[in-house]
Amino acid sequence: METAGYATLSRQSGLMREMRVVANNIANSATTGYRSEGLIFSEFVQTAPGQQSLSMSRANIFNTSMEQGQLTQTGGTFDFAIEGDGYFMIETPQGERLTRSGAFSPNAEGDLVTMDGHRVLDAGRAPVFIPGTAETIHIGADGTITADGNTVGQIGLFQAAEGTTLMREDGVMFRAEGEIEDAETAKMVQGFLEGSNVNAITQVTRMIEIQRAYEMGQSFLETEDERIRNAIKNLIKS
Amino acid sequence: MRALKIAATGMSAQQLRVETIANNLANMNTTAYNPRRAEFADLHYQQVTRAGTVNASDGTVLPTGVQVGLGVRAAAISVHLQQGAPEQTGNDLDVAIEGKGYLEITLPSGDSGYTRDGALKRSAEGLIVTSDGYTVAPDVTIPDDATSISINAEGEVYAYFQDSAEGQLLGQFGLVGFTNPKGLEAIGSNLFTETEASGPPTVSTAGEDGLGSFRQGYLEGSSVDSVREVTELIEAQRGYEMNSKVISAVDQMMSATTQIR
Repeated sequence: METAGYATLSRQSGLMREMRVVANNIANSATTGYRSEGLIFSEFVQTAPGQQSLSMSRANIFNTSMEQGQLTQTGGTFDFAIEGDGYFMIETPQGERLTRSGAFSPNAEGDLVTMDGHRVLDAGRAPVFIPGTAETIHIGADGTITADGNTVGQIGLFQAAEGTTLMREDGVMFRAEGEIEDAETAKMVQGFLEGSNVNAITQVTRMIEIQRAYEMGQSFLETEDERIRNAIKNLIKS
Repeated sequence: MRALKIAATGMSAQQLRVETIANNLANMNTTAYNPRRAEFADLHYQQVTRAGTVNASDGTVLPTGVQVGLGVRAAAISVHLQQGAPEQTGNDLDVAIEGKGYLEITLPSGDSGYTRDGALKRSAEGLIVTSDGYTVAPDVTIPDDATSISINAEGEVYAYFQDSAEGQLLGQFGLVGFTNPKGLEAIGSNLFTETEASGPPTVSTAGEDGLGSFRQGYLEGSSVDSVREVTELIEAQRGYEMNSKVISAVDQMMSATTQIR
C-alpha cells in the first residue's frame, strides 16, 4: 500500500486543526478572562502483521495556558480581576461553572451577575446580594464585600482539585469534571479586569509556521504524485 | 474553512470595539455622559473527543480531550458608571447631581425618562424643562416676575422677587435610584428608560438612600477618559489587523490545497 501520502495527509489535517485553534485565540485576544489554547502533535504508530510500522502525526491533545493575563484598570466598582490560581463560581441553568472573567454588575433584584446574567456565587455557593442603597462598595483581596463600612458577604474563589479537568464552555466559562476546592492563594482586585492571556506575537509566529509547514506538505504531496505518475508512465513504456 | 469564519468573528468583534470607542470619543463633551465598553466572550466549543474518554482497555482516560473553539461574540456593551467632573457654568438653572441618582423627566408619550443631564431651561409657560423641552417631574413653574431662582442641595427650588427678601418655595426635585443603573436603556438625548434589568425606580429625595445631592450652577462633565480610549483604539486596530492576517493565511493554505493534482 502506498503510505507516504497518508502520513502527510495526517500532518496536513492536524495543521488545519491547529490553524483553527490559532484563529480562535487571535479572535479572542480582547476577551476578558480568556485562556489561550494550544495543540500538541503526537506520533501515532500503525502496525500491521508482516509489514513495517507506519508512523503518522496526530493532533489530538489540547492544552490551556493558565498564565496570568494582563490586568487592565477600568475603575468599575463591579469589575474584578483574580491574581493567581483561582476562579469565580457562577450559577448557570446547566449547573455551576468557573470563570476568570470578572465583569459583573448587580441585576434588578440586587444579585451580582455576569454579563450573560448568570449569578455569581459566594464562598458558601449562594448568590451574592449587593444592597442597592449603599453609596460605596468595596471588595477586599479575599472577596469580602463591604457596603458603606458593613460587611455584607464574600465572593468565593475556587479552583479545580488535583486531577479535575476543566472543560471549556462558551462565555469564557469552564466546566469542572470532578471536585472543586477553595482557592487558597488567589487574590481579588477591584476595579481591574484580567485581559485575555493570548500572546499576539507567539500566535502570529505560530500562524506563519503553520502556513509554511502546510505549504511544505502540499509540495511534498505534489512531488509524490509526480513520482507515481512517472513510475506508471515508465512502466507502461517498457 | 472554519478558521476563516473564526477570524471573521474576531474582526467583527474588534470592529464593534472601534465603534464603541468612536461613540465615546464623539461624546467627550456631552453633559453627564458615561463611557461604554464592549465586553467579549468566547463562542461555544466543538467537542471532538470528550475528556475522560477511555483510551485503552486498561482504563486509561484522556485527561483533556479535544475541544475546538469557534470564535468570539460580543457579550455586552456595558456602561462604565462614574461621576464626571463638575463644570462651573454659573447658570442658575444648571444643576449637577453629585451621587448616583437620576432626575425624572416626563416624556411626550407620558412615560417617565431619567437623566443626569441637569442643563435645565424655562419653557414659555414658565415650567422647568430639559434642553429638549421635556418637563422635569414634579412640575415646577417659575412665576414671570421672579428675579432669581435658587436650587439647594436637597433639590428645593426657591424663587426670589424684587419686593421681598424672603424666597418662595416653588417645589422640590426628587432623585431616582435603580438597583442596576447599568441596565437602563439609553434612548439618546442623555435620556434613559427603565427596563427589566434595571429594576423599578425608587423615588427619593436628595441626600437620602445614597442617591447624592444637587449642586446649582454646575453641570456634570463627560467621564470619557481620552487617553484610555485612544489606547484601546490602538489595541482594537491591531487586533483587527491580526485577525485579517489569519484570514489571508488561511486563504493561502486553501489555495495550496486546491492546487493538488
